[in-house]
Amino acid sequence: MSALAIEVFAFMRSALDEEALAAAFAAKERWAFDEAYARFGKLLYSTAYHVLGNAEDAQDCVHDALARVWKSPDSYMRSRGAVRSFLTVCVRNEAITRLRSKVRRRKLEERVAAEYRDEEELETGDVIEHDRLRAAMRTLPDEQRRPLELAYFEHKTHVEIARELAEPLGTVKSRIALGLRKLGAALGARA
Amino acid sequence: MTDHLGDLAALYALGALETDEAMLAERHLEGCDACRRLLAQAEADVTAMAAAQLQRDPPRPLRAPPDVAATPVRRIWAPAWIALAAAVAIAIAPGAYLLRENFAMHSAMVADAQAIARVAMSEHRTASFSGTDARVMYAPDGSWYCIVIRGVAAPLHVVWPHDGTQTMLGTAMPHGDVALLYLPKSHRMETLSLMRNGQVVGQAQLVF
Repeated sequence: MSALAIEVFAFMRSALDEEALAAAFAAKERWAFDEAYARFGKLLYSTAYHVLGNAEDAQDCVHDALARVWKSPDSYMRSRGAVRSFLTVCVRNEAITRLRSKVRRRKLEERVAAEYRDEEELETGDVIEHDRLRAAMRTLPDEQRRPLELAYFEHKTHVEIARELAEPLGTVKSRIALGLRKLGAALGARA
Repeated sequence: MTDHLGDLAALYALGALETDEAMLAERHLEGCDACRRLLAQAEADVTAMAAAQLQRDPPRPLRAPPDVAATPVRRIWAPAWIALAAAVAIAIAPGAYLLRENFAMHSAMVADAQAIARVAMSEHRTASFSGTDARVMYAPDGSWYCIVIRGVAAPLHVVWPHDGTQTMLGTAMPHGDVALLYLPKSHRMETLSLMRNGQVVGQAQLVF
C-alpha cells in the first residue's frame, strides 16, 4: 500500500468529522453505522471485554448492543453527544447487564477475579503506560476514588456501594459524580 | 422522574443505577434536552476511562447485526469536499475508480487492503506549512498539489509567491475542521503560502 493511499484515506476518514457522523447516525444512515463500527469497534470490544473478561461474550455483547441501538427508533439523538461516547456507554451497560444476570453471576465473579489477577501480573511490568486509567484514578482522593472504582471496575450499583462503604446514598452519589468529573478532566474528556 | 438527573447522570453513564432507576432516568431523558447534554458529558468521561484502559483487538472481525446488513444502502449525495477528496484520489491514483461509489464505500475499501493497494501507486512528496497544522502532498514533477489543513474554521487562500508577485491558486474551504485543496498544475512551485485577510499564516518550502 503506498503512502499516498494511506494519506488520502486517512484524510477522508478524519475529515468525516464527528458532527457529520452524529447527524448521519441520528438519521440512521447505514454508512454511518458502518463508519462507527469501523472507527470504534476496537474500543467497543475492549470496553465489553474489560467488563466480561471473555472474548466471545465481549463480541456477542457488542453485536447485541449495537443491534439494539439500531433497531430502536430515536435511540440516538444529537443532544446525546458524540456517537463514540454514546455507543461506548451502550456497550458497557449491556455488558454490565449481562454480568449481573443471575445465571452468570457466580461464574463471572470468578472470571473478574481472574482478570484482576491477570492485570495485577501485568502491573509488574509497565502497565501504567498501557493503562492510563489506573494511573489517573490514583490522583483522586480516596473518598472519591473508592466508590468510583467499585462502580467502574466492580460494576456495583450505588446502593451496593453505599452498603459496602457504609456511607449514605446521597454521599456516595455525589462523590462518584465528582470523581467522574475530575477523572474526565484528567483524561482529556472535558475542555 | 420529574426532577433533573443531576448526579444520577454520572451513575447512569457508569451503569451504577438500579434497574428501575435507570428506566426512570431513560424516561426523563426522552423529554429533557438539558439532561441529555449532562449525560453526554458523563458518557464522554466514562468513554475516556474506557479508552484509557488496555485496548484489545477482537479475535475476529466484529460482525454487523444482520438487520443492519439487510438495510438497503441509501444513496447519499456526497458533499463537495467528498467529491473533491475523491477527485484527488482519482487524479493522483491510477485505479482509483473504486471511489466511484459514494463515500459510504470507503470503510469497506479501508478493510480491503488489496483494493487500497491498487488505488494509489504514484510517487509523491510531502512538505509541512510553518505556523499551522497543514501540509502539502505534491508530485515530484509538479503535476499536482494537494493541500490539507487541519483545525481550521474559516477558508484559507493558497498563494504561490514567485518572481516578486503572488499568484492566487485557490481557496481551501473547511468542512468540519479540515480543509482541502487539490491543484492540478504543470509546473513546479517551490513555495506555497496560506493567507487569511491578507496575512500569511503559513508557508511551505517544496523540494523538487
